[in-house]
Amino acid sequence: MTLYKWIFIFGFISFLFSTLYYILKIALKASFNDLSTPKGSLVLGILYSATGAMSPVKKESAYLHLPTYTAGIVYHLGSFLALFWLIIHFFDIQLPSIFSRASSIFLIISAATGFAILIKRITTSKLRLFSNPDDYFSNIIVTGFHLLSSAAILNSSVTPILFIYSGFMLFYIPLGKLRHIIFFVCSRLYLGIFYGKRGVWPPRGRFHEDKE
Amino acid sequence: MAKEVSGLQEEDFMKIRNNLITKKEKALKRFVDSINGRLLTHLNSCVHCGLCAETCHYYIATGEERYIPAYKIDQLISIYKRYHTIIGKLIPKWTGARDFNDEAIKEMVDVIFGACTMCGRCSLHCSIGVDIPFIVRTARSMLVELELVPKGLQSTIDAAVETGNNMRISHNELVETLKWLEEDLKMEVNDENACIPLDKKDKHILYTLNPREPKFFPMSISAMAMIFYAADESWTISTKFYDVTNYAYYSGDDDTAGELMERLCNEMGKLNAEILVTAECGHGSRSIRWEGPNWIGRRYPFNVITAVELIAKYIRDGRIKLDPSKNKEVVTLHDPCNLVRSGGVIEEQRYILKNACSNFVEMYPNRENNYCCGGGGGQLSMGEFRDRRIEAGKIKADQIKKTGATIVATPCHNCIDQLIELNKEYNLGVKIKTISEIVADSLIL
Repeated sequence: MTLYKWIFIFGFISFLFSTLYYILKIALKASFNDLSTPKGSLVLGILYSATGAMSPVKKESAYLHLPTYTAGIVYHLGSFLALFWLIIHFFDIQLPSIFSRASSIFLIISAATGFAILIKRITTSKLRLFSNPDDYFSNIIVTGFHLLSSAAILNSSVTPILFIYSGFMLFYIPLGKLRHIIFFVCSRLYLGIFYGKRGVWPPRGRFHEDKE
Repeated sequence: MAKEVSGLQEEDFMKIRNNLITKKEKALKRFVDSINGRLLTHLNSCVHCGLCAETCHYYIATGEERYIPAYKIDQLISIYKRYHTIIGKLIPKWTGARDFNDEAIKEMVDVIFGACTMCGRCSLHCSIGVDIPFIVRTARSMLVELELVPKGLQSTIDAAVETGNNMRISHNELVETLKWLEEDLKMEVNDENACIPLDKKDKHILYTLNPREPKFFPMSISAMAMIFYAADESWTISTKFYDVTNYAYYSGDDDTAGELMERLCNEMGKLNAEILVTAECGHGSRSIRWEGPNWIGRRYPFNVITAVELIAKYIRDGRIKLDPSKNKEVVTLHDPCNLVRSGGVIEEQRYILKNACSNFVEMYPNRENNYCCGGGGGQLSMGEFRDRRIEAGKIKADQIKKTGATIVATPCHNCIDQLIELNKEYNLGVKIKTISEIVADSLIL
């Protein structure tokens, strides 16, 4: 195996171990021993937390900020697509050229949305107030990942650079704010438990009027 | 001869300094002890997107960027990063990690106590799902260790611990008020046997009170007594431990909150009642119903329901009959955050009002998406932040104005106090009532 692939593997393994460490830490410190009597369903609450509650029509953070929300969605889709292509490159899998070209274009678009989000952070005083170097760096490193990934799809000579870059990025993820990818799922889970148990989620609608 | 430092003898200065260091260590220890899976998750989830800004009534009303929820929780997250993350320990500035120093503590007091009602609206709309009030309350618990709970809030808690109620109402004063209300009830229902039973054993219901009721709003006790009379309920009020409020919930002081909860539990046991009914008080209901068992470390051997749920049940079961034509004015409803968003009592009050009023209108947004009135989080007891509280309440005042209602109903005495002030400050020209008062007005006896 080539050196650049080894660098990537090192980054990937360190990411894997860090992820396992955080998940274990959460699991070991988890306490579901809430002694209050439930009013609603935990399961339904969790399901709603991961579905309906995430809907852009339900969240002000989405429907009041549609351009940012859309950019965010495209950006994250781009990240998943770039990760997908990383696997494709690693195992030297051949995909139809139309898919490759479409992926490459999409990754340029997603990088542009990442850049737009970065510009927003730089130019908006309220965001600057609580932004730190890690916030800017995390954006730049992921946006760069999209661009490199796009280039590597079209030109295989870029692939070694992409592997080295990705190895570094994967190593960095658990250290900075990018680790939210590990915690996001747990956040939705805990929020679902909280609102589900209390009968707030899923919204019950007008059940009394329906019953009358 | 002893040296002088900052106008103090060196020995005294060192004592104060050491005391402060000890308190900071205790606060940090409290923080470490409270890190469970849930807190760990939420401390690591915020991405600083800032999309929570417009969900917070403080930020919308004032435009002050320090009131953005992400900034508020960053006061604790930055300390977490400093002491519990690799980069935070090695290159703190890179991730915004900060020492737990005087400057950090000062800012924490200002935004954590002074600019947050822990209403939870931000959490519901957070793009990630960070439990912001949970983080805020954890930060408050650290300030408890530093003895930096705002004076008014702490004195309210002290009053409850020392006298059994947060308004220091004496036993005689309470009994006299309730006896007077009982006489009033007899006249109102024209029945000599009508009563407000005090400290009676083996009743079905033990009804709690918000101390503001006997002190300033006795008519809401009368209203509830009339509803119990109409429903032919077996009920009683304890004259010893009746306080539904628990301001230690607001301060983040779990030990004291548990102590207050324990007293109420013991009283339930002593009077051998079956159901504990919480008066119309948002945070009190939440504290007793949802937080209390965890504070005292055991499940209750009795049921807890809110007065709103009980009244809705009376209507559904036909135990009380209402005539909506007795309430002809336009009535709107303010949803108390702790009862609705964090308590799941969402439709009951609507069901009641639709049965008790002929003209009920919603304000928007409502239910779990409601805006806080600004009186939660212990704000009403923190005089130093009064102007900020009134300014933040403008969002609620505007909501009320838009409904065109002449009566605002709300099942929470904290909210009532804030709404009364907003009514005056923003010339709303409305009457503020509890749900039970509106029901009592429409009762068919």
